[in-house]
Amino acid sequence: MNTVLMLFKKDTYRFLSDKPALLLTFILPAVLILIFGEIFSGNGGQQSRIPIIFVNESSSPAAKIIEEKLDSSKALKPVKSIKTSDKNKTIFFNEKTAKDYVEKGKFSTAVILPKNFISDSSAALNIKVYYDPKDEIEYSLIMGNIQKIIYSTIPSVFPALLQNKWQKEIGPAQAKKFKTSMAKTVNYFFGVPADSIEKYMDLSYISQSHSLNADSAASNFFSELLNFQSTQVVGKEISNPGATRMVGGWAIMFLLFSIVSASISLFEEKQQGTLKRLLTMPVSRNQIIWSKYLYTTVLGVIQLAVMFIFAWAVFNVDIFSNFINLFLMIIASTLAAVSFGMLITSFTKSLSQANGIATILILIMSAIGGSWFPVFLLPEWMQTISKTTITYWSVDGFLQVLWRHSDLSGILINLVVLLGIAGAVNAVALYRFKKTDILT
Amino acid sequence: MENILSLKNIKKNYGEIAALKGVSLDIERGSFLGILGPNGAGKTTLMNIIIGLIAPDEGEILLENSPVIHRSNDVIQKFGYVPQEIALYEELSAIKNLEIFGGLYGLKGKALRSRISEVLELVGLYERKKDAVKTFSGGMKRRFNIACSILHSPEIILCDEPTVGIDPQSRNAIFDMLQRMHKAEGKTIIYTTHYMEEAERLCDKLEIIDNGKIIAEGTLAELINLLAKKQSIKILKESRAISVKKELSSLGTLNELEFHFELIPGTEYSKLHQLFPKLESLGISEDNIEISRATLEDVFLNLTGRRLRD
Repeated sequence: MNTVLMLFKKDTYRFLSDKPALLLTFILPAVLILIFGEIFSGNGGQQSRIPIIFVNESSSPAAKIIEEKLDSSKALKPVKSIKTSDKNKTIFFNEKTAKDYVEKGKFSTAVILPKNFISDSSAALNIKVYYDPKDEIEYSLIMGNIQKIIYSTIPSVFPALLQNKWQKEIGPAQAKKFKTSMAKTVNYFFGVPADSIEKYMDLSYISQSHSLNADSAASNFFSELLNFQSTQVVGKEISNPGATRMVGGWAIMFLLFSIVSASISLFEEKQQGTLKRLLTMPVSRNQIIWSKYLYTTVLGVIQLAVMFIFAWAVFNVDIFSNFINLFLMIIASTLAAVSFGMLITSFTKSLSQANGIATILILIMSAIGGSWFPVFLLPEWMQTISKTTITYWSVDGFLQVLWRHSDLSGILINLVVLLGIAGAVNAVALYRFKKTDILT
Repeated sequence: MENILSLKNIKKNYGEIAALKGVSLDIERGSFLGILGPNGAGKTTLMNIIIGLIAPDEGEILLENSPVIHRSNDVIQKFGYVPQEIALYEELSAIKNLEIFGGLYGLKGKALRSRISEVLELVGLYERKKDAVKTFSGGMKRRFNIACSILHSPEIILCDEPTVGIDPQSRNAIFDMLQRMHKAEGKTIIYTTHYMEEAERLCDKLEIIDNGKIIAEGTLAELINLLAKKQSIKILKESRAISVKKELSSLGTLNELEFHFELIPGTEYSKLHQLFPKLESLGISEDNIEISRATLEDVFLNLTGRRLRD
């Protein structure tokens, strides 16, 4: 038993002296639990609202109710206007601009309550939805919430819709006759003025009434009274939407792992002594660093290309119709990943330290950057952090290219940010290499 | 003979620690120089400075009487460094390693291929040229480590404890190889070690370094001549020897150790034929006597008061 305890003690000492192992064992799970917890704990107060474009062209009070409900929704954030790029002008969305913004990928969904949202001649509520299902979960959540709001609003306009329905059945002349007869009958028996009764039975009065419980549950019956005109504006032609959505996220995560592993091999060479041998040859420190940049960049480009080709071959993901922009994204993502690998190498002191820190950072970046699940699921503060990660800009860029078939202007911001990250991070890494002389 | 390499008052500090405190050396062309010292004496720092891995804080290095200021390709080509570590790409084959290292030295084409064959023959690994280095035994890796360092035919070969952790047979093979390069090819070899047997066997000149300073230099014979005792006599501490301890003391300096007496003969008994009859007359049997000649270990002990491997 004593021997077992001594061996236990030995393992404990070794573990406690291994800082990267400590971080991986305790800190990383805690951070990932925090991220997943924020997403799936149902802590609604902190959950960010998904922005959708909302256009209300109807003057109907029922449309107003839906608008109010959307405004107070915890899940959806209706956006009705947007500032122009120079920030001086505010544009209010209409159906055309709303559709345009969804097409361009600025928003994933636009809900339009048209002028004929509810009308005397209509037996159903007319709602138009323009959507881009680039993200399946987001799309499902948005549609689910919109339907919930609308179904729960139907009861408030139910009598008006019903009256519309029977007016349509028996014709307006007969309906008028029916209302007049009913008013006269009530007047005869109860003494209520006939014109007053007739007014209560008027469609416009009913549609203004909010007397029914607007929050009662929707039923299938109501859906017959709902005329949803959903139009998918992007990605209709994509043969494998699931694979097209996810390939970029996984590709960038594995790219980061392999690039970091290749970058930190400098430590391996240092440990083995081959780095020292190289430095005794006609090889300068700068040449070693730049050769590592070249090697990791070529490796990264090939790795990403192979992953996308695999996605094309196995999942029929279309990589060729927008190949030039895909290639630009591959280059920019790789350069950013290489700079990250070099930064890790320049700031750490050993292979195990570099491995530990890199693993932690890559997994966190993947979690908050969109590799594993959509960024919109994160709380707003995490979404803000997300935008500082290579993963976010790569995943978004690949989605733009593969899903939306964006041209260069569509991925320009992604390219600029990724290359900016690469430039800035490389400058820091090179400064560190020079300052700390990690090679000796 | 002219000096191929000279170090003038080389100093190097690591923070508060002075690793080298003004080392000066003159290394003749074609010599086999041993730098002997315990761990932490400054051998590796000195090697790193010679090959240009680190810069000295003070001092000057002269290569063929010209100061080495900038390590040009010509200067680098003159040195071949055999590191203490097995610094090889072990997952690659022997030939691939040599192609890479040769390429970095500017060798290519037929010249590279021919030189690869030569060095593989020299280290006895030609038959294994296509095998991954990781499949080699420890001794083979050590030999191949040297092969990679001499591929470009350097004039000066620096070996930093190249036999660490290998079996005697492989060690002998390396010694033979180095001696062949030294004698047949006229290479200048600088060899650091803390194994005195290696230094005694290989080197025609020795530098003893301790605490960042050269404390003695010369040939093996010159260094041993520094000692008062060139040899000592070990006498087994049995009853007869104990009873004549006083008489033994009169023959020289007598040190009493745990199992034996160590007698360093006085000048009148410096020749063994003078000493042995005297011991016989005292009743000390020949079987209980052992002659011990002075070694570099004794030189080091004499100079520093410490043993080489302390």
